[in-house]
Amino acid sequence: MNTLNSVGHASPRIDALQRVTGAATYTGDRRLPGMLYARVLRSPHPHARIKRIDISKAQAIDGVKAILTRENCDVVWGSGDTRNKRYLFNNPVRFVGDAVAAVAALDRHTAEEATRLIEVEYETLPFVLDPEEALKPGAPEIQPGGNLSPNNQGQRQPEVLRRGNIEEGFSAADRVFEDQFSSAHVNNAQLEPRVSIGQWQGDHLTVFASTQGISNCHTEIARDLNLPPEQVRVVCQFMGGGFGNKNQCHDFDLMAAMLAKQAGAPVKLEFTRKEDFIAVHGRWPTKQYYKVGVRNDGTLTAIQLRGYSGMGPYRKGTGGIAGIEIYQCPHVDRSVYPVYTNKAVSANLRGPDYPQSVFGLESLMDDVAYALQMDPVEFRLKNMTRKFNDQIPYTSIGLEDCIRRGAEAFEWKKRWNPVSGGSTQGTLRRGAGMAMGSFFSSMGRSSAVIDLDSKGIYHVHVGVTDIGTAAKTTMALIAAESLGVPHDQINAKIDVIWGDTDRCPYSVGESGSRTTTHTGYAVVEAAKDLKRQIAEKGMPQGNDILTATANTNPTIPGMARYSFVAHFAEVEVDVDLGHVRVTKYVAAHDSGRVVNPLTATSQVKGGATMGIGMALHEELLYDRASGQPLTAGYYGARVMTHRDAPDIEVLWVETEDAYGPYGAKTLGEPTIIPSVAAVANAIYNAIGKRIKDLPITRDKVLGVLA
Amino acid sequence: MKSFANVNARDLKDAVTQLRQPNAVVVGGGSDLLGMMKEHLVQPDILVNLKSIRGLDQVSAKGAEVNIGGLITLDALSHHPLIRSNYAVLAEAAESVATPQIRNAGTLAGNVCQRPWCWYYRNNFSCFKNGGNKCFSVAGENQFHAIFGGGPSFIVPPSDTAPALVALDAKFRVVGPSGERTVPAAEFFKLPRVNAAKENILEKDEVLASVHLPRAAKGTKSTYHKVLDREAWTHAVVSAAVALEMDGEVCKRARIVLGGVAPIPWRLEKVEAMLA
Repeated sequence: MNTLNSVGHASPRIDALQRVTGAATYTGDRRLPGMLYARVLRSPHPHARIKRIDISKAQAIDGVKAILTRENCDVVWGSGDTRNKRYLFNNPVRFVGDAVAAVAALDRHTAEEATRLIEVEYETLPFVLDPEEALKPGAPEIQPGGNLSPNNQGQRQPEVLRRGNIEEGFSAADRVFEDQFSSAHVNNAQLEPRVSIGQWQGDHLTVFASTQGISNCHTEIARDLNLPPEQVRVVCQFMGGGFGNKNQCHDFDLMAAMLAKQAGAPVKLEFTRKEDFIAVHGRWPTKQYYKVGVRNDGTLTAIQLRGYSGMGPYRKGTGGIAGIEIYQCPHVDRSVYPVYTNKAVSANLRGPDYPQSVFGLESLMDDVAYALQMDPVEFRLKNMTRKFNDQIPYTSIGLEDCIRRGAEAFEWKKRWNPVSGGSTQGTLRRGAGMAMGSFFSSMGRSSAVIDLDSKGIYHVHVGVTDIGTAAKTTMALIAAESLGVPHDQINAKIDVIWGDTDRCPYSVGESGSRTTTHTGYAVVEAAKDLKRQIAEKGMPQGNDILTATANTNPTIPGMARYSFVAHFAEVEVDVDLGHVRVTKYVAAHDSGRVVNPLTATSQVKGGATMGIGMALHEELLYDRASGQPLTAGYYGARVMTHRDAPDIEVLWVETEDAYGPYGAKTLGEPTIIPSVAAVANAIYNAIGKRIKDLPITRDKVLGVLA
Repeated sequence: MKSFANVNARDLKDAVTQLRQPNAVVVGGGSDLLGMMKEHLVQPDILVNLKSIRGLDQVSAKGAEVNIGGLITLDALSHHPLIRSNYAVLAEAAESVATPQIRNAGTLAGNVCQRPWCWYYRNNFSCFKNGGNKCFSVAGENQFHAIFGGGPSFIVPPSDTAPALVALDAKFRVVGPSGERTVPAAEFFKLPRVNAAKENILEKDEVLASVHLPRAAKGTKSTYHKVLDREAWTHAVVSAAVALEMDGEVCKRARIVLGGVAPIPWRLEKVEAMLA
């Protein structure tokens, strides 16, 4: 791969100094003149009809300026449910944490006191937490029409993927393996709680948001509040993470705006940490029934999956259970049931459809490999995908290199026990596991504007927000490369303008790991336009400026563009205490050309770390009798701490890819896809017992060993 | 959080007098209390602040004994040279609590008296600890609840320093309106069958003022081991405070006290007898 001048060089973030010195203004830091503070009253019941709401006592408190309930606010939160109408305030309420009312007051304290004085009379309704239970006859109906969430066409059918003929596949198999797996609801758990400020100037609304995408947030606020888009502005200069649940506009954006309208003053609504766990969304819990057919030589003949995803009571995400496409296999049959339940809502969390399902898939494939007395690495090399769904060629594929080079760096042959549970050292057992995955590396619509002034400064306007991925820096590197600005002059010559819909063109939003590929590509094209203009007109002089724009929407005919990944984990299991510790971790990634190895490496470490937590201890646990969440928050949900994070070695397999900006493919989400499974497989290799329910906590480890 | 008044106590006598006011509670580091107030688990009208009392955060050697003021932070306690050298189990227990931020604010007395972290209690279920008459863990999620000594409540105390202090045969100085009393650490904690709403002998207007450690006998070795569900910031699934008085290879006296498994620090007297 040829070396470039800026792209590919480890580069500190262009806003690093602002961030580490506290100069960066996050949404929660903003204080507007006359700003009010808001609090939300939430349902204490998993399912209940509201018979009466009385706000008179709350209204009577000094300092209370606005109160919203369903009775005076019928705004529909469009992206809150893609199938049913989800209001800002719903009746019936369908999970513990469903919003009932919102109050704006002179200070937070008063707002909270007022929420406690709102009298709500509930008629409690039967509830159901488990997706399979929810499909049984007689289960409480959570949404009109039943608990199987309808598909995009409104049909109440599972999401189906079929290839070949599954029965033929099982007939062609020498051996058939079958097992069931489950995964828990885990939370995005980003550091910055959800926060939004709504400010009206006449009939113009400005929302200071904490969003992963100012453009889609802007479009949806205008749609949901029935405003012309030009009357809405969304600003997000710095944000503190989201991992998928600050994508699009959110109920807190709409509540802040509606409270501000009623109060005639700007309103800030910031969630508590507890609300941040129960009132927004996390990853869907799943049940997975896998069945695999294989020949004695290790060739896969059939993969079948029947899966159930607990969506909570609103269908905000796909509920997909994906990942089978990582295997070459002629006969595939997958049916996934996205089901309404009365738990917290589930939707996007870093690789939404993947780590939980790859856990099930790769656990079973591991069992197959052991049963056939094959090295799991060899089994995967034999059966890994060559074409997408065995049909469509990839634009580039570095999966084999990820597996081979990852195994070498990990010292697989040395660490892996051919007989699981065989390595003994006192009460400690060591074992190694691996897993693989892929993720769609999207190309698509985005825009960029570059102005060049007579001082030679390039003003790069991009609609990114930077959710922690260093998107601003990525855009600066791509701009520098495309414009011929030397790497050491990026800070002096490249001025990135981001995070404001009044100043920036459309960007796809930092979801689907698309910012580099979509918006980065638009930057490349705008730079080409600018260079043409410079060649034609010369550098601008005096008060002149040159402006270049690009509205790009590239397509890739007849090919599939994917990123690939293989992770390797070694664990140490204390068989007396059931304690699991990750002692070695190697992550090998094909994301095409790596734009910024410094921040890309951090992303891999972050994704793998999240996956390890999901494998070992994270869970939003529910009390089955009452439907109450028990472990909301960083303490209870057992989110990873610094001391839990192992050293993670990151390896880049930089394939040459003809598409995307300088051949860059997707990175952010693939980082978590195989990590849960790699850890689970390492535990199996250490103790010789398979744990099939996430998280793999101490009680389960001791349980299988007993 | 409900509005409240803060009263800076002048001295311990003033503190216990202030505590007699309706709905007054004592606050030291506040690392747990303030969170409980935010969650509306407790809604006091008056906080009697002990941090305004000078000298209650000191370690002092008194002859062969050592006095530790209840207001010493867990961080300071864990780094104190005398504690580290003579009472390692206590230093290690203090060091194992929560996170650096919490250890910088949280105090020894606060840690000893900390309310349970049972998820039913903390989520405001109407349990014994919240004024109800039921323990929800019995038929519910109970993987972190008591396996010894439980009933009718099955909470476990979250304190790491409590088992260490029991293992060291510490004495607690309790100050109340009618004077002060000194009780052995082991008698400070009470099983739920005595009073399911409480964890110890403190009355509402009493304060755990200081802790007295007896002279560390020659040859004493002690240590604290804690099993956590992640590497930091969880309470003990099980912990063991161990203090052994050794004479060469011979164990003359043993104290083994478990945390995280019973509603009080749980002494394994038979194991102690077997060792010594």
